[in-house]
Amino acid sequence: MGRLADEFKNSAGQFVDLSVDFKKFKMKNPVMTASGTYGYSDEFDAFLNVKNLGAIVTKGVTLEVRPGNEGRRIFETEAGMINRIGLENVGIEAFLSDKLPKLKEKGINFVLNIAGKTVDDYVRLAEICENKGITAIETNVSCPNVKSGCLEFGTDKNCLYDLISGIREKYNGFLIVKLTPNVTNIEELALAAQNAGADCISAINTLKGLGVELNFNGTKVSKSFVQGGLSGRCVKPVALSMVKRIKEAVNLPIIGLGGISCLKDLLEFVAVGADAVQIGTENFTNPDIAERLVYELAEFIAVQGFKDFNNLKEELRR
Amino acid sequence: MKKNHKGKILNIETVAKDMVKMQFATELESILPGQFVSILIPNKTLRRPFSVADFAKGVITVIFKVKGDGTNYLKSLKTGDIIDYLAPLGNTFSLANSGEKALLIGAGIGIAPMLYLNKTLRQNGAETFLISGFRNEEEAINGSDKTVIGGSVLDNIQNIIDEFKPEIIYSCGPKIVLQMVCDIAKRNGIKAEIAMEKVMACGIGVCRGCVIKLNGKEGVKNASVCADGPVFNGAEVIWED
Repeated sequence: MGRLADEFKNSAGQFVDLSVDFKKFKMKNPVMTASGTYGYSDEFDAFLNVKNLGAIVTKGVTLEVRPGNEGRRIFETEAGMINRIGLENVGIEAFLSDKLPKLKEKGINFVLNIAGKTVDDYVRLAEICENKGITAIETNVSCPNVKSGCLEFGTDKNCLYDLISGIREKYNGFLIVKLTPNVTNIEELALAAQNAGADCISAINTLKGLGVELNFNGTKVSKSFVQGGLSGRCVKPVALSMVKRIKEAVNLPIIGLGGISCLKDLLEFVAVGADAVQIGTENFTNPDIAERLVYELAEFIAVQGFKDFNNLKEELRR
Repeated sequence: MKKNHKGKILNIETVAKDMVKMQFATELESILPGQFVSILIPNKTLRRPFSVADFAKGVITVIFKVKGDGTNYLKSLKTGDIIDYLAPLGNTFSLANSGEKALLIGAGIGIAPMLYLNKTLRQNGAETFLISGFRNEEEAINGSDKTVIGGSVLDNIQNIIDEFKPEIIYSCGPKIVLQMVCDIAKRNGIKAEIAMEKVMACGIGVCRGCVIKLNGKEGVKNASVCADGPVFNGAEVIWED
């Protein structure tokens, strides 16, 4: 690679400014990586300079250590995959003692994704984040894998309002609410998040999906089902539709994600209302994709003759 | 050292029925027995992992069984084509010391990492015996001290252990074979190291898609086949149905 995003100059001879300013949270560019696809970013040092990204979003962290689901967790589909990891994570304590110092030391801009089973779980996590000076959190209210919890918050506007209000009371940093697409009326959930005091919405989480595998040995059939969250390139049209609908319903900034694999995808999300994007499943296919998109975006802005990322965004939204 | 690479295919040939050997150029200084490469397949979300069957300076060899879309695509490639691969990934076999005796068991395409391990151990001065098993003559890959055709690679294994008296057993193959290898090793009081396989998404330990359970010194815990493995101490693996 070797090229850096800030090598590109616009038509006025200035370096291309890709920065995104959410007031409480600033990023040097709009390219983030999605929760669950990046761990806590250590492993990606072997593929790119993580510092060059706008921000990473950590694997969803819960109060306690979680071992995740039993049985098969991954199923490849046409242009995507289904996962049922079940929020395996190190727990907030280990995050604070082992992962946080490394992120700080490396100068990596990050958002902590938090998940829980009860309102109390989230509120306690929010309190911890406030006390530890975590600048930005993303609430996973839409993980379809955990029984008795997350999905209810993400699919019921009243539950979501109560949850986000509870978090907001304890946490003053940048509060992102990640919405699930597995609802009829995404607008009312986005509004509930806004009314409860969220700073930003990220969308979408995975779609509910089922992978079916059939094996025949003569007339003897064996089958296995993998029920989980569908992600990857195949979900992009759903995600674009959701982001557009959210944009029309609320005034909050939006982080768009769902099937982004190239610059064209990124631009499409910005065109329908995203102020920043997250790269998810594509990190598995091409682990250096996020950094590549940063400088492809800078190069595109320079070559096309836009002033900066904000100017590109304005023109895409016109 | 970055782990994403592109390499030119130097040789690709069918070595047995549905078994393909592919050699490609690499700038890696080393890749160890047990480690694997993860190859990008156009229009597929998931890369395909293959354990290293041989390594010499500048050349990685993999051997794969043609099964689905990914391996059919790879089989269609020609010398001179470029592949996109991640390497080195995963952990390695502990290498038996000079003078030690190691029994290597490869079931089916599980022979691939055993070939590279066998070569490395012998270079290190260990005494090895490699036994492999295949469903039929057409699928058999060369390179073993003993090749079992039909039946199970483990049919006569107790006699071999009694005669050869290995200090360690290494194995790779289907789960059912590995499970039996671990039982046999335990019965004989011998350490077993097994290379496991599971559908992987990231291949680098972040997604937690390929975890198994280990019962180690610190109790039961998850381990990812891609990053904590693929090689595990057979005595620690908890087998799921």
